[in-house]
Amino acid sequence: MNKLRFIFALYSAKAILVIMRLLGRNASHFPGEIAIKICPDFLKQLKKPETLIAVTGTNGKTTVSNLLTSILKINGYKVTNNGFGSNIREGVATTLLEYTNLACRPKNKLAVLEVDERSSVHIFPYMKPDYLVCNNIMRDSLKRNAHTEFITFIINKALPAETKVILNADDIICSSLGPDNHDRIYFGLDIDKPEGNVKQHVKDMVYCPKCGGKLEADYIRYNHIGRMHCCSCDFASPQPDYLVTGLDRDNETFTVSHGGKEETYHLINDNIVNVYNFCGVVAVLTELGLSSEEISKGLAQAKIVKTRYDRLKSGNMNITMQLSKGQNPIACTRCFSYAAGCPGDEKQVIIIIDDKEDNSGNSESVCWLYECDYSYLNDPSIKRIIFAGPRCKDHYLRAQMAGVNKDIIKITDSFTGGVDLLDPDYLDDIYVLYDPYIIKEAMEVKEQLIELGKRSM
Amino acid sequence: MIVEILFSEVCGLFGDSQNPEYLKATLPEAEFIYTDLVEEPYFIDHDVDMIYIGAMTESTQRKVIEKLAPHKARIVELVEKNVPILATGNAGEIFCRKIDYVTEQISVEGLGIFEFDVKTDHFDRYNGKAIAKVEDITVVGFRSQFSFIFGDNSKCCFAECIRGDGINRDSKFEGLRKNNLMVTHIIGPILPLNPLFTEYLCSLAGVDAKAAYREAAMDAYEQRVAEFSDPGVVFGNNM
Repeated sequence: MNKLRFIFALYSAKAILVIMRLLGRNASHFPGEIAIKICPDFLKQLKKPETLIAVTGTNGKTTVSNLLTSILKINGYKVTNNGFGSNIREGVATTLLEYTNLACRPKNKLAVLEVDERSSVHIFPYMKPDYLVCNNIMRDSLKRNAHTEFITFIINKALPAETKVILNADDIICSSLGPDNHDRIYFGLDIDKPEGNVKQHVKDMVYCPKCGGKLEADYIRYNHIGRMHCCSCDFASPQPDYLVTGLDRDNETFTVSHGGKEETYHLINDNIVNVYNFCGVVAVLTELGLSSEEISKGLAQAKIVKTRYDRLKSGNMNITMQLSKGQNPIACTRCFSYAAGCPGDEKQVIIIIDDKEDNSGNSESVCWLYECDYSYLNDPSIKRIIFAGPRCKDHYLRAQMAGVNKDIIKITDSFTGGVDLLDPDYLDDIYVLYDPYIIKEAMEVKEQLIELGKRSM
Repeated sequence: MIVEILFSEVCGLFGDSQNPEYLKATLPEAEFIYTDLVEEPYFIDHDVDMIYIGAMTESTQRKVIEKLAPHKARIVELVEKNVPILATGNAGEIFCRKIDYVTEQISVEGLGIFEFDVKTDHFDRYNGKAIAKVEDITVVGFRSQFSFIFGDNSKCCFAECIRGDGINRDSKFEGLRKNNLMVTHIIGPILPLNPLFTEYLCSLAGVDAKAAYREAAMDAYEQRVAEFSDPGVVFGNNM
């Protein structure tokens, strides 16, 4: 009876998937939802690919998941992946059922699945990942994710002890994941170490989880990313098995040391956050058995999706489009820091990070703005900051509290109204930081900038 | 004027850490004392004019109770002296009688200044908005929490709700208040989001202050009051 229900669920969901695709609808969630409604243990009954790689963590999941899939495909592997779909239980179910044939067998031997950390508790009991890669555990949407201690608790509650965990050694919270998982691999960076400690706007690990003593930083890159040790016991950031030992921005390469050997790979993007992503990818693929040549070939061809990051020139105007996930204070802080730190002395930054849905018949919670470090925008290279969106008055106040001169701030409640507020004297370097849920508006802004660039030649 | 910020290194979740920053900008002459969890609170043997404590994780909450429990008599003395004490998010729950942590299946005695009980459940996340009256001041803010307080607070609330829930889903009275000890489940930047309340808080400490960045803060505040008052703006659970 149970088997029949499962088959009915699978066939129904597959039919819905096909119909939705024919109608041009986004079918990354609903078919899985229907399958689980018909057969509550659908995920458990579904036959899984031989090797499951789960990608979780706060920031970088999509980038890592997409890169892993791209590189594997470039090397001839057939991969089941939800990189462009939903990463919660229903999305994972949709992806897996899509890649299940009518004989109820998985079409591919390998799956790379992005798993929302909050949803891991609903997914891992039904599918045991062989590998779990986690880039970081940071503050995220406080409505969903509360705090890092809660997210760690959620992941640990569901994570099978047999899974090989591949963790960021430079994230003291992430590296402590899966205390019962003995098969552990760490990756980290030994480059661009900051001199002294950078300021930590928010701190999520102050005291030692082992003895309660105060943690001391060897150095901090941002937030709790860096190296730490306990002043009272032997607890410390673990030693990385995969270590980035070189970063050559001019030649666009990075070097990873592992097992006494060093390999150099193509650097797709030089944002330090992405260097962690790339190192994690190298670690996973190597553990999976790919050779450094295969990984190198993949990294040389793989790209970050242009809707996440793009750099282009129009006339004399350099335009940088950078996805900046709203309600995610650390991701936005990194984007502020990135824009401020890029070369150039006369930049303008258009910031469009309000949540479209939360401001439609609603009023978005702005608490997260106060977890985000706006002081990075207080940089002499930034000549104008434009906040575009319904919460522009909140950004205006928040930026002033962070020490930004109010005279360089302009605001508009229109997502696409920022270009009109640019200072015509500084049109050479424009940065657009935008939320993933307003891609359409961000692309409209990009088109406006391209036109402006052509006109101002 | 002396303002003590308790345990800011671990009690500043959800943007609560910026409330002291806004107070500092509002009260440039005041002395701010930051006490870490591993230190003894300054208020134990010194006079203070105001105390602030922000939201924390549930495990930290238990450590804070442990830290403050030996000083309950001194805290009661400060409350009797009308010293303003503001606790935001789940910080104020430490002043209640008992906290039941459903997920961990443990129960912890609080400081017992309020005869109210708390229930915390990690699998019952509540998100909401608040628009409520503190005396004649309209306060707006946001709530995201795992916990609710239970008991009749109609005579000892922090604020009377205009819209939104109070200390639990069946209550229309937000938070708790005893003299100037104010407990609210509103999280994050309650002070920058409420310049009038900030001025009121300062007045309780005997200071006639003008809220920092007042023009910008009032603009954002008035927009939010208008939005929260709009019947078209949704106000239910998880909104």
